[in-house]
Amino acid sequence: MTTAANHLDIEARDRIKEIICDILEIEPEEMTDTSRFKEDHEADSMGAIEILSQLERVFGTDIDQAELSRMVNLAAVVTVVEEAIAAQSDPAN
Amino acid sequence: MYDDERAPRRVVITGLGTVTSIGLGVTAFLDGLRSGRSGVKPITAFDTTGFAHANGCEVDDFDPADWIHRTEPAELGRATQFSIAAARMAVEDAGLTPGDLRERKVLISVGTTDAESRDLDLLVGQQLEHGPEQLDHRVVRRAQAGRLSSGIVRELGLVDVEALTIPTACAAGNYAIGSGFDAIRDGDVEAALCGGADAVCRKTFTGFYRLGTIAPEVCQPFDKDRKGILTGEGAGILLMESLDSARARGARIYAEVLGYGLSCDAHHPVAPDQDGLARCIEVAHANAGVKAEDIDFISAHGTGTHANDVTEAGAIRQVFDNPPPTISIKSMIGHSMGAASALASAACALAITEDFIPPTINHRETDPECGLDCVPNEARPARLNVVQNNALAFAGNNAVLILGRYEEAV
Repeated sequence: MTTAANHLDIEARDRIKEIICDILEIEPEEMTDTSRFKEDHEADSMGAIEILSQLERVFGTDIDQAELSRMVNLAAVVTVVEEAIAAQSDPAN
Repeated sequence: MYDDERAPRRVVITGLGTVTSIGLGVTAFLDGLRSGRSGVKPITAFDTTGFAHANGCEVDDFDPADWIHRTEPAELGRATQFSIAAARMAVEDAGLTPGDLRERKVLISVGTTDAESRDLDLLVGQQLEHGPEQLDHRVVRRAQAGRLSSGIVRELGLVDVEALTIPTACAAGNYAIGSGFDAIRDGDVEAALCGGADAVCRKTFTGFYRLGTIAPEVCQPFDKDRKGILTGEGAGILLMESLDSARARGARIYAEVLGYGLSCDAHHPVAPDQDGLARCIEVAHANAGVKAEDIDFISAHGTGTHANDVTEAGAIRQVFDNPPPTISIKSMIGHSMGAASALASAACALAITEDFIPPTINHRETDPECGLDCVPNEARPARLNVVQNNALAFAGNNAVLILGRYEEAV
C-alpha cells in the first residue's frame, strides 16, 4: 500500500531529475514529467540500467530490474522509487 | 606474386593446453566435451553476499606448482598462472620441450577480457580497508595484463620472441590465434603459442549481474527459457607451427588453421549487431577460401543471453542458406571471457581429430527465434572437414576462425 506518507518531497524529485539528466546528458529544462527517455532523449538500455542503479544508491533501496519497463519518463520513475521505498518500510516484506 | 622464399606458409595446430572448469589438460577437457560435463557451482572467488544468485564455472582443482617451475606462483596473478600452465601443457602436448622453442623464433599472443582484474579487486579492497599505503606490493607488481604473455616467455625461458597481450575482450582468444596465424603464414616466426586466459572476478560478475544477464542456475544457449550467462575462467593455449615444420618433425596435427575474419562495427557498447557479425563470418570464409556450405559445424559464441543467441542465430541465417549444427560449449564451461574463443578453438580442433560434435547441454526446448540444431545434451559422431568458431565481444569486436581437417596428400 502506498500512502500519502510515501510521496517524495520536491527535493527528492529534483534529485531524481538531476540524476537522470546527468546520465542522459541533457539539460534539466529539456525534460518534463512526461517526456520519454527513449523516444525524446535517446536513452538506451545501458542508460536505463545506470539510472536504476544510481537511484538504488542514492535512495538506499532495491528496485527490481523488471521495473525498467515502467521507467519510461520522470513521472513514472518517481512512482517506482516511491513504491520501492514503501515496499522497504512495509513490515510484510 | 611471391617468390619461393616468401610464399605463404600453411599453419597447423600441433599442441593444445586447456585449463577449464570441466578438466585440466587436453585429455580431461576432451572427456568433458564428449560426455557433456557441466562446470557450474557456487562462486567462491569472492564474497557473494547480497547477490540474489551467484553460480559460476570456476577452475577448482588447479595447483599452479604442478605446471609452473621457474617462477614463484605467488608472484603471478591467477589469470597469468592459467596462461602459463596452458602454455606448458600445449608445448608438452605438441611433443616439444622449452629447449626446442628456445631455438626458434616464437610469437606468444594471449587474449584477455580482464587480465588480472581479480588482483585489482583485491587491491581496491585493501585500499578501502587500510588505505593506499597498505597495498600488498607483490600484488601491485603482478597485476599487469602484459604478464599473461610475458609470464610464458619467462617460464619457458624463450629468447627470440615477441609477447603480445591482446585486450579485445570476449573475442580476444580468436584475435590472438589470428595474430599467430598471420605471423607463421608470413614467415615472421616459426612457432606460436596463442590463445586466451581469464580468472573469475567480482568486477565482471557484478557488471553482468547489473546488466541483468547472469543466469540464476545454469547456462542454456539457444533454449527458449535461457536466462543469461555464467561467468567462468581458465585458459586455452594452442601451439601452432608451419605445416613444413610439423611434417619435418613428424608431429601429430590436430587441424589446419584456414583463416579468420575480424569486424569491429563499434555499433553499441553491449548490444551485438547482426550485420556486423554476418560481415565478419563472410570475411572469415573469404580469408579461409571456403564457402558457407563447406562448414560442417559452428562453435557459436552462444552466451545464453537473450540478445546474443537470437542475434547470432540471425547472422548465421543471413550467411547460411542451411545452417549447419551450431553448438555452444559455454553451456558446459560458462563464459571464460578472453579464454572463451581459445577454448572453443581447442574444442573445434579436438572435434575434427576425434570425429564428434560437442553438445549444447542444459537444453530443453530450442527457441524458435534461434531455430538452430544445437546438438542438444548429447555429443554427436560426425566426420568434420571444415569448422567455424564464432566470437563476439562488447563494442562490436567480432572474430571468426576457420579450422580444417589436415590430410596427408596421398
